[in-house]
Amino acid sequence: MATDALKMRNIGISAHIDSGKTTLTERILYYCNKIHAIHEVKGKDGVGATMDFMELERERGITIVSAATNVEWNKHSINIIDTPGHVDFTIEVERALRVLDGAVLVLCAVGGVQSQSITVDRQLRRYEVPCLAFINKCDRTGANPLRVKAELCSKLGHNAVLMQLPVGLEDKHEGLIDLITMKALYFDGPNGDDLRIEEIPAGLLEQAKNAHVELIDAASMFSDELAEAYLEGKETTEQIYAAIRKGTLSRQMTPVFMGTAYKNKGIQPLLDAVISYLPSPYEVENVALDIDNDQQEVKLIPDINKPTVAIGFKLEEGQYGQLTYIRIYQGSIKKGDELTNTRSRKHFKVGRLIRMHANNMEDIDYAPCGDIVALFGVDCASGDTFTQSGLNYTMTSMFVPEPVISLAITPKDKKSSEAMSKALNRFSKEDPTFRTFVDPESKQTIVRGMGELHLDIYIERMRREYDVELDVGMPQVAYREAISQSVKFDYTHKKQSGGAGQYGRVAGTMEPNPESNYEFIDSIKGGAIPREFITSCDKGFKACLARGSVIGFPIVGIKITIDDGNSHPVDSSDMAFQLAAIGAFRQAYDKAKPEILEPIMKVEVEGPCDFQGNVLSSINQRRGIIISTSEDDLFARVEAEVPLSEMFGYSTILRSLTQGKAQFTMEFARYGKVPAAISEKLIKDFQEKNRKRN
Amino acid sequence: MIRKELISKSPLRILEKSIHGGVGKGCIGVIAARKGVGKTACLVHIATDRLFLGKHVIHVSFGEDASHIVRWYEDIFNEIARRNNLNCAMDVHDDIIRNRVIVNFKQDDTHIAKIKKNFSMFLEKGNFCVDTIVVDGYNFAKATPEDFQEFKRFALETGLEMWFSASLKEKDVPSDAHGIPKLLLPFINDIAILINLEPKGDFVHLTLIKDHDTIPNSDMHVKLDPHILLLAEET
Repeated sequence: MATDALKMRNIGISAHIDSGKTTLTERILYYCNKIHAIHEVKGKDGVGATMDFMELERERGITIVSAATNVEWNKHSINIIDTPGHVDFTIEVERALRVLDGAVLVLCAVGGVQSQSITVDRQLRRYEVPCLAFINKCDRTGANPLRVKAELCSKLGHNAVLMQLPVGLEDKHEGLIDLITMKALYFDGPNGDDLRIEEIPAGLLEQAKNAHVELIDAASMFSDELAEAYLEGKETTEQIYAAIRKGTLSRQMTPVFMGTAYKNKGIQPLLDAVISYLPSPYEVENVALDIDNDQQEVKLIPDINKPTVAIGFKLEEGQYGQLTYIRIYQGSIKKGDELTNTRSRKHFKVGRLIRMHANNMEDIDYAPCGDIVALFGVDCASGDTFTQSGLNYTMTSMFVPEPVISLAITPKDKKSSEAMSKALNRFSKEDPTFRTFVDPESKQTIVRGMGELHLDIYIERMRREYDVELDVGMPQVAYREAISQSVKFDYTHKKQSGGAGQYGRVAGTMEPNPESNYEFIDSIKGGAIPREFITSCDKGFKACLARGSVIGFPIVGIKITIDDGNSHPVDSSDMAFQLAAIGAFRQAYDKAKPEILEPIMKVEVEGPCDFQGNVLSSINQRRGIIISTSEDDLFARVEAEVPLSEMFGYSTILRSLTQGKAQFTMEFARYGKVPAAISEKLIKDFQEKNRKRN
Repeated sequence: MIRKELISKSPLRILEKSIHGGVGKGCIGVIAARKGVGKTACLVHIATDRLFLGKHVIHVSFGEDASHIVRWYEDIFNEIARRNNLNCAMDVHDDIIRNRVIVNFKQDDTHIAKIKKNFSMFLEKGNFCVDTIVVDGYNFAKATPEDFQEFKRFALETGLEMWFSASLKEKDVPSDAHGIPKLLLPFINDIAILINLEPKGDFVHLTLIKDHDTIPNSDMHVKLDPHILLLAEET
């Protein structure tokens, strides 16, 4: 196995749902001799794609957890993380991107740049991951890779440059033209193993020449050497490769490849491109925060002789215990090494070191910096940093979105109850967007996540993997409360009748503040409230935010300014001012006209034009706002904003409205005001619940 | 400033005054200029003004993706709200976007029949009443007078007002004696209002070429500020 870090690539395969990335990964595994037969995602052989190893994934034909795998291509070691495509599982994509050095952005030649391609692209930008684009499904009816390339430029703002042109499209898709070598490539044999290189077909020569010139023009921007050589007509393929590599690594250029993974066309050139244009771990700068030194940023050096720094980016509970996927940034890890978890300060010995291949694993003794491997039986949480030789570094924390939906779950018997807590403990450790808590009022277990499907999958997994019998409640939206107008408050907390007295007075303003969830401003002049009690006031106000009085949901978007108050030399205390702040908050909150906010989702529905009318009316019935519709000859795309509470069960409804031909994606957009009629109902329900409890 | 005040002080009121109250139901207005002069800014400002008035608008665009147009609306709204210190700007924003839909066609030569079918779908299935349709980027060079008459007929049948933008090329700019660009001559009978945009100094000036039955070729006393992309009163 090649282990020289220069000959290593850590790549992710990111895309919109159903763009065919699992199929693409399957082909990569096949061409790199990791598997010896190809199984389709929804194949008739019932085996399923190798990377979709969970039973549930195979059934549904979607990838739920990212599986890491290592392959070797052209004497280079490539670690591939196959990432889930559904927005509900975006945390998986985010975590994968955090540890990757490069990515292949898979796009559908028919669907083009879709809503989730935009999300994924935003993530690639956030972590500054260089990428290649692969336009898949060139064999499908309506395939138009040139339009998709144009969309990459117009919608995602990439400097996308064609590296290939198709030889025929749709059912006439035969092969590709390599625009650097100016040769036509054909993929012969039942699985496309035999690469046949021919001259460019005469009919396409002119188009290929023009595209070649465009490619050189674009590449010359990154290499004066190439520009000069080109002017003299002496450019070499090496110069072109080097210029494209430079452009790609600086994220100023996206080389565009194409083909059809399903029909085994275009995969080998893509693998060559991964080696040629995506960076090795040596070429990527990574930083950690030095806890001992006021969290100063420290550059990590990919040198095996330096002390080890690694991050655990994914946990999986397997048959033999917990498996932790790690990326080593500095130093190396050997079997038997002692590492420290910087969060828990726990030391542990590396027992088994594993290289993953989907769900098969290979025991190894050593892994150098840059590599992605897995450890067995380490007690840790996702995102923990592991170090050696007393280094107290932590890798920058990963961005974790807030869950927007919750469900109450009740185990049916004692056996299920025990298994359920075990499962919940594991899932919440593995996935930071999956949270769980016991509601202190109803005593029910509540699970929270990023969407209906997200929670659905975990409930199904509890049933299958842990044999848990469950009653599942109706999905509950994460409402919020916010005030709509400014009010003044002036409250005195006074308890001076016998025993130790309590006295504190706070006065100021409560205002709406859409900019942030909570802001506290101290404008006290002349010590009306002694300094030591200012934080007590802040604490008191903060305590009120957890539960609003309208429907009992958290309060957001509020600014409190205190500008006056009073204290007592003996009776004022931390507690007295906290209680005064709580009293002031209650006094002001109801007068500030609190409103209910609900999560509004950005929904994008795509399907044949014929069903656009049905889609529009379905969105309308759901209190949706249609933002835009876009259509070409065959497909229409409707973009809308719809309250999450109206989206439950939408996938089933959409399927029946469109004969299963349309699909939708949804992601959290913002919080919006609940209309009066619904607000009244929510308030009534809340009051009813309160009355029952009392 | 409150919404009502903002509406009354809008420079669009001056524009309306110059064209005798507006384009009018069942009529078509066209804003003509060379590429990059500010046709889209003008149309979006007109459409935003209609939205402030509580009217419903469909914005049709060609080629470019719809999110690009959404950004135009956001920018123009934010600029208007900021400059006029609009009260409860977010509430006004949320209120008016309900009345706006952007319809995008990938091909700039999409046939009128398809466009009309799309409008009807909104009116029927989308449960969306429409007062104004803004068509940005319509390819007059490829269109026939019969195509355009179809739009006019549609506007008359539904009682809508429509605004188009027409992109002029160098060769279209020399216009006839009344200032009508060559490109638009075949369509002029179906155009009620024709406004020409022309950069002069730091601003883009609006000239009224056709006003229903008259051909005034006069200055409208409204200019487009290219820095903020908003229409403003000429001082």
